[in-house]
Amino acid sequence: MSLAAEAFVSQMAAAEPWPENATLYQPLKDDQILLSDHASSLSVQAYLRMCGLPVQVVCRANAEYMSPSGQWCRNWALGYFAGHSLSDALDDVQRAEMKAYMELVYNMLLSAELYLQWCDDATAVEISRPRYSSPYSWPLGKILAYQKQWEVRRKMNAIGWGGKTLEQVYEDVSQCCQALSQRLGTQPYFFNKQYVFCLPSCPCCLYGHVAAMADRLLKSNLTYFLNQQRDYLACLKLIHQRKAGHCCGVCKT
Amino acid sequence: MGTVHARSLDPLPMHGPELGVQADDIEAPEIEQQPRQEVLENKDVVVQRVHIDGLGRTKEDLLSYEIAEVFRAKNLIDVMRRSHEARQKLLRLGIFRKVEVVIDTSRGEDALPNGLDVTFEVTELRRLTGSYNTMVGNNEGSMVLGLKLPNALGRAEKLTFQFSYGTKETSYGLSFFKPQPGNFERNVSVNAYKVTGQFPWSSLRETDRGVSTELSFPLWKTNQTLKWEGVWRELGSLGQTASFAIREESGHSLKSSLSHAMVIDTRNSSILPRKGGLLKIHQELAGYTGGDASFLKEDFEIQLNKSLIWDSVLSGSLWGGLLLPIGDKPTCIADRFYLGGPTSIRGFSMYSMGPQSEGDYLGGEAYWAGGLHLYTPLPFRPGRGGFGDLFRTHFFLNAGNLCNLNYGEGPRAHLKKLAECIRWSYGLGIVLRLGNIARLELNYCIPMGVQSGDRICDGFQFGAGIRFL
Repeated sequence: MSLAAEAFVSQMAAAEPWPENATLYQPLKDDQILLSDHASSLSVQAYLRMCGLPVQVVCRANAEYMSPSGQWCRNWALGYFAGHSLSDALDDVQRAEMKAYMELVYNMLLSAELYLQWCDDATAVEISRPRYSSPYSWPLGKILAYQKQWEVRRKMNAIGWGGKTLEQVYEDVSQCCQALSQRLGTQPYFFNKQYVFCLPSCPCCLYGHVAAMADRLLKSNLTYFLNQQRDYLACLKLIHQRKAGHCCGVCKT
Repeated sequence: MGTVHARSLDPLPMHGPELGVQADDIEAPEIEQQPRQEVLENKDVVVQRVHIDGLGRTKEDLLSYEIAEVFRAKNLIDVMRRSHEARQKLLRLGIFRKVEVVIDTSRGEDALPNGLDVTFEVTELRRLTGSYNTMVGNNEGSMVLGLKLPNALGRAEKLTFQFSYGTKETSYGLSFFKPQPGNFERNVSVNAYKVTGQFPWSSLRETDRGVSTELSFPLWKTNQTLKWEGVWRELGSLGQTASFAIREESGHSLKSSLSHAMVIDTRNSSILPRKGGLLKIHQELAGYTGGDASFLKEDFEIQLNKSLIWDSVLSGSLWGGLLLPIGDKPTCIADRFYLGGPTSIRGFSMYSMGPQSEGDYLGGEAYWAGGLHLYTPLPFRPGRGGFGDLFRTHFFLNAGNLCNLNYGEGPRAHLKKLAECIRWSYGLGIVLRLGNIARLELNYCIPMGVQSGDRICDGFQFGAGIRFL
């Protein structure tokens, strides 16, 4: 969960020019990375690319442990965003609103991702545990995967998600998406059109989480859930187009 | 018929590896003068019976090996000598608080006129012993609790548990030790532990959870140890300012290694020896029994001591080591060698030389270090014959190097690399011997050959440790 997005925070104070060799470390893409990490990684990449900041993505099996604070890119995204001079473009109300939406995304979508990964037994057994333990040799991989699962389950219990069923979680996600669709309405941007590229962190974190989730859910034959979210998918497509237009199609789904 | 009381000759000579007997556990026997009624010295005698009184948990078959020699005695002096040896062997098992020997003439119907009975009066250690210490060091205070079953199953097996609760870290270890009956030097031990260490010179925090099995046995003049160890290592950076090189090493790894150690030790004391030498060779092969880490590690230690006039001793030592990664993976920071500090190359800060990144020392894959000491008694010899004998003054000259090798280059290039940029230092200081396990040093050091990036300690340096260059 803790992507080493901070790897480049250490190389960069908000006021300093963006370093040329900024690198994002993420778990191994083919064998190891899980939905939630993938989502976080996509969020950061989308944000940076829409800002026009070059970043190189490197896969490391120990990416999770490389961040000294154990925090992940959320804090980084907000921090950098706040320090960015372009954030003046929004007024206070809009900024607060945007923060609220970002919180919604993080609290709801990220928790749902974690729930699906570790609390749903079928997914945990078939996907999460084998993938999480893949870089390690026996019996370390098993120990680490169980440790992780236990940790996440404890966290889920703490936020009151422990007793939820899979259907309830889908329902929550669905509501969250509806809220976002409503905010979006028929306009193509979440906030001021003019500044969509200046302040894209909200759509980007959304993009990351929703795209990653859509990807995985489609694979799990859970398309019914997304079919209900047509508006939202339309929004996603827009972000895709914008991204593609702006940064030469660096992100593909 | 006469009665002779023979008591042991000296309090307690203890040799060999950790035997678990603390000097305080054993009471020094008083020498008593018994009036002799008959001179038996030159008479031939037969040891008819050996009794052991005071046994509770201890199994008798274990002791029969230790006392077998007593039966072979031919005259009284021999009986006394062999009984004394048997007593020492019994004490070395680490299961008795006190052993006394009583030699008496045989009684009863089948008693021979020259028959003797030897009785060992033993007092067993308690079933469970405990200890409690507090320690301060490394910017951390800790409380150490120890529990020991000195004679767990009745055949000198020892079960030890240690728990250290610190302000920052918690460590514990459980170990089971079993000697072969009749051959104490041949023993097996099994350990399980969790140890956490903080290494500020590398901004690194390491937690090891592991199990190991060890087999020790003497072979000719050497002591051999074979060991298998499986450790789950968790590395993390210590604080937010750790360099990126350290953060790249963070995470989990599993090491499973087979190692072999050989020791020849002819020194008269391990801390401030006057004569004798030490040769220690250690090799470790990781990766063939599973785990993520694969490497071959070799290192050695040589020490030679020579007595000179006026109780002074000249001592020379040489260390060296090589770490060869096997396969494509680079070596892990936890496996590499470190050099420098008040117990290796004096005048340099603890483990603060060689390859580094942003002030964090990364260790090297090859090293050597040499030291030459001249130990003399304190000037004017205050406290001679007592407290003063724990101290020595010494003049030293240390040198060494630590670097990484490019293994494609061949041995000539390696030697060249190890021979250039040599760090060295000289100085003088005072050494205090602490028991027979550790020593303290206060030295005035002058570091030379300092390379950029090395951290030095110019002037007074204080150090404590159990391994010394």
